[in-house]
Amino acid sequence: MDMDMARDALVQEARELLAAMENALLEIEAEGASPEAINAIFRAAHTIKGSAGLFAFDRIVSFTHIAESMLDRVRNGTLPLDQPLMALLLECSDYIAELVDAIEARREDIEPDPERRARLEDALNALLGEPKAQVATVRQAAPEPAGQVEVESGESVSSDNWHLSLRFSQDVLRHGMDPMSFLRYLGTLGRIVHIVTLPDAMPAADEFDAESCYLGFEIDFASEVDRQTIEGVFEFVREDSDIRILPPHGKVAEYISLIGALPEPAGRLGEILVKGGALTSGELETVLARQAAEPVPAKPIGTLLVEQEMVPQAVVAAALTKQKQGEEKRAQEQKFIKVEVNKLDALIDLVGELVIAGAATNLLARKQKDPQFEEVSQALSTLVEQIRDAALTLRMVPIGEVFQRFPRVVRDISRELGKEIQLVVTGADTELDKSMVEKLSDPLMHIVRNAMDHGIESTAARVDAGKPAGGTLRLNAYHESGSIVIEVSDDGKGLDRERILKKGIERGLVQPDQILSDSEVFRLIFEAGFSTAETVTNLSGRGVGMDVVKKNIESLRGEVEILSRAGQGTTVRIRLPLTLAIIDGFQVMVGESTFVIPLELVIECVDVGGHDTRHNIVKLRGEPLPFLRLRELFDLPPADGVRESLVVVQYGQHRAGVVVDRLMGEFQAVIKPLGQLFNQVRGISGSTILGDGRVALILDVPNLIQRASRAQAALAWHGQATTTPEQTGGN
Amino acid sequence: MSNYPTPAGSSALAERGVSRQYLTFTLGGELFAMPIEQIREIIEFAGMTEIPLMPAFLRGVINMRGAVVPVIDLAVRFGRERTEIARRTCIVIIEVEQEGQMLLLGVLVDAVNEVLTVEPGQVEQRPAFGARIRAEFIEGMINLDQRFVIALDIRLVLSVEELATLIGVAAEAGAVTAE
Repeated sequence: MDMDMARDALVQEARELLAAMENALLEIEAEGASPEAINAIFRAAHTIKGSAGLFAFDRIVSFTHIAESMLDRVRNGTLPLDQPLMALLLECSDYIAELVDAIEARREDIEPDPERRARLEDALNALLGEPKAQVATVRQAAPEPAGQVEVESGESVSSDNWHLSLRFSQDVLRHGMDPMSFLRYLGTLGRIVHIVTLPDAMPAADEFDAESCYLGFEIDFASEVDRQTIEGVFEFVREDSDIRILPPHGKVAEYISLIGALPEPAGRLGEILVKGGALTSGELETVLARQAAEPVPAKPIGTLLVEQEMVPQAVVAAALTKQKQGEEKRAQEQKFIKVEVNKLDALIDLVGELVIAGAATNLLARKQKDPQFEEVSQALSTLVEQIRDAALTLRMVPIGEVFQRFPRVVRDISRELGKEIQLVVTGADTELDKSMVEKLSDPLMHIVRNAMDHGIESTAARVDAGKPAGGTLRLNAYHESGSIVIEVSDDGKGLDRERILKKGIERGLVQPDQILSDSEVFRLIFEAGFSTAETVTNLSGRGVGMDVVKKNIESLRGEVEILSRAGQGTTVRIRLPLTLAIIDGFQVMVGESTFVIPLELVIECVDVGGHDTRHNIVKLRGEPLPFLRLRELFDLPPADGVRESLVVVQYGQHRAGVVVDRLMGEFQAVIKPLGQLFNQVRGISGSTILGDGRVALILDVPNLIQRASRAQAALAWHGQATTTPEQTGGN
Repeated sequence: MSNYPTPAGSSALAERGVSRQYLTFTLGGELFAMPIEQIREIIEFAGMTEIPLMPAFLRGVINMRGAVVPVIDLAVRFGRERTEIARRTCIVIIEVEQEGQMLLLGVLVDAVNEVLTVEPGQVEQRPAFGARIRAEFIEGMINLDQRFVIALDIRLVLSVEELATLIGVAAEAGAVTAE
């Protein structure tokens, strides 16, 4: 496999696991520790370590190793999962994320933050009761001194040797690996004191498959290397084989679980252990006696229970349920396949081409006036339309992918601010285009921070205002007429209209006697460098401003809107198109140029002739409507004697009219971005290809509406027009 | 334009010591050349879509098998009269790299002529003046039997960054006057 691809896969897997780990931690914090959640954390850390080990990313392996040892204690119940430990674990997961980032950036050789690492490792080692800095340095710089690894808790045995139990998977030979080579390599790391080959799994001769491996080994091994190095020997077979390593002076409990977990009868294993010197016969007696008395401790997930006749009935039953759950989960996993984004994009591109070719065929069919041809092409278009819709849904992902970061963010920030804030997430399964998910994350983060920092008051202020002491932050998403709407609401103090207005006047954004609606006032906070914060906290000080939020959303062809009521809270509402790839378009012409308006934004079309159209305001059914002429806006050559039409468009709450020469009707438009060259072009959001192969430009409706309203506002401001155009003088 | 004195120091091309292929084309009656490595294809002019409020050098966009490709009028870019569309007008599709991404651009020319194989010794350094186009656009002068052809440095002629800035300025101005 291509190394880069493998590396990307590793990074992605690690991030998913870290997210799972964080979720589990937060769940524990909210609802108390549960074995499932603790296991999930352990599993995540373990898998990250394992995958990183395959690539020899030692920084991550050594760090995760310590964390894993500590988690193991938590799982065994030897360490209580208390508040400080939770905080430590969260920070560890953050640091692992940093290490993963470093791998992604191809800088895995550099420690991202040595100080932080040392601090975390000290904290972990302190909990593990290990001497400081022994394991802290990277890559075997300080091998764990033999015999000290896990001695501190529980009784231990007297043997100075490692004990290894190997049960290779039957497929190991088919995977191209020879068990002997592992043993030979092991031999280079120390001395194999005693080895017993276990042929117990060998079937009768006629069932014997020459390509399967049936052998197991019990090995006593004298060596000074650390556990990690020994584990490293079996790195490539660890996945499907059963490899157990017990350190010198291992705990009695570990031997109990070892004997319980292995398929061979306990008595026989006991003999082997005694013969190899791993246990003295006295120790063996204790082990066997204790094993008979108590059920086998919980096993790590993934080791199959095969020793059914060995363990008490209750444990078997529990183990079987667990196994079944695992199978169900696997069945669920198989409902999804991972597909590279590139392949998906290529498919969407092709579907786009198909849509264009379909439109061309339709055009031709209509020209030919052959009813059969027309019928066939119609059937084809219907199918193409379905394929288009199906292909587009492939890219749809639930917005929960973005929302899942926020429980942690809210937790951290509320602590930092000393506020009590509860997060309520709704509509997490609302779907939107994958490409938008990535770009949405940063703006949302900023809005959430703002809401927590400036929106929600301190506990004291809330109590004074007669509100519940804890603030609530809501994240909500839903679909609304061809758009997805995402809302971030808080129940804080609301925006201070007067202060924003005053600031706007100070900065010359607003004229002192201008009358603005609430939403116009609130929109001021999206202006660059606009801040009414009296104190700049470290939250609002870092990161982007609201102007960048607005820019990011607009680059996705979206819109931000603010609703706020003093004393009751603020809602930031983001409206985005569902997809960036294909839209239903409405085709219009000005002179010889064709333009496309997204159909979902078109309200109606009106003949301009019968209306008074002075000063860019038309009176439509008694209501004034600002409009603009595309011909003037785009500086197109004038034309005489055309009967102009007015297309009324709406975006969010705002409406405007666009005057064009001719209306051409609906068609499916595949959006083609105009590219970097045209980044700064306003009024046009992209392009599309018409059925005849020509390129048509897609109008940027929100921008046009904004311009029309601004032109109207400017007119009103000059005092030449008030509310009705009839009263205006010459201009 | 013949017999330019060759200044001391050899051109970047000559240093490579290998022959290179160039496409020659005419623009306003004058012959130019560009290295063929970046040329993706040459298509006959068959109409294009103009984009409003663009500077004169950006003539519009075309559909090339589903990709929307901007078309640059090279003559205007060189500060001359805009290219008139005629029977032999062609669009040369060129691939330029911008911040690690490959970008297709079309270049409008009066006619394409031929592909030349040029030996390193045939290329001379650009003159300091006298070529009537910006000196940095010139990669070198190809000596064809005492006749010189300007070999263009396409990377600079089609600098996406510079073009985008010019377009931004024009769009800004357009937006202001339109309001």
